[in-house]
Amino acid sequence: MNPAAEGTVYPDVSFFVDPERVASFRRVFGSPQGVPPTYVAVAEFTVLPQVFDDPFLGLDFPRVVHGSQDYIHERPLREGETVTVRVRLESIRSKGANGFLTIVTELIDADGAIVCTAHSQLIERGPAA
Amino acid sequence: MRRTFEDLEVGQALPVASRTVTAADVKAYAEAGGDHNPLHLDDAFARGVGFPGIIAHGMFTMGHLSAAVSAWAGDAEAVTMISAQFRAPVFMGDVIEAGGSVKALDPDARTATLELWVRVERDAATEWPIRKGEAHVRLT
Repeated sequence: MNPAAEGTVYPDVSFFVDPERVASFRRVFGSPQGVPPTYVAVAEFTVLPQVFDDPFLGLDFPRVVHGSQDYIHERPLREGETVTVRVRLESIRSKGANGFLTIVTELIDADGAIVCTAHSQLIERGPAA
Repeated sequence: MRRTFEDLEVGQALPVASRTVTAADVKAYAEAGGDHNPLHLDDAFARGVGFPGIIAHGMFTMGHLSAAVSAWAGDAEAVTMISAQFRAPVFMGDVIEAGGSVKALDPDARTATLELWVRVERDAATEWPIRKGEAHVRLT
């Protein structure tokens, strides 16, 4: 990974909270009615392919594992709404042979208010010792 | 049933939620979640990067944990924050167990802080696919 990619902001993507897709997500987990808190991962994955394929960042995708994740909800997502997904590379660090990338994703509603902030830490594993 | 703030006390344990992870579950998550990384779908690819076979998405394990918290609260919208550190892979056939306890209570905000984990017993050892999980749950 190229540490100079820290701070990169990707173009905003629009994300429709599709009730049918929410229902199929709930079915995987037997979740109660409403939009599950981790459904935000679906919005993250509308932009993450751009991050994975960003030649300036140079992430070696087959070596990537998910280190940690959080979701901070200002309010629940609502089925049927459309939000803006904004992704930036918050930090790029290395420790030993491993690289650590923290990606921040914000979901912003039609009034410009943040609905949810997600932090995703990806680990690019070093070659086997 | 929807849990109320008065039902809670510090140290109270959440019921442990178990499920056996299958390739069909992980495929269903890949489709619903939009994460088609072959590490979760293609055994040959997974073996090529050093695993014995496909592993579950971290977000599959976290989704199971989150659903357990929502079910315990009786309300999917009660969770205002959830976090997890992924510490061990989950293989097909593993029985993952999600649990936790009430760590702190804020009566003014009517919010509970939960500490959470997901464990799996494998080869007579306990592994922790999720450690140091946390959630904030707002109750009526």
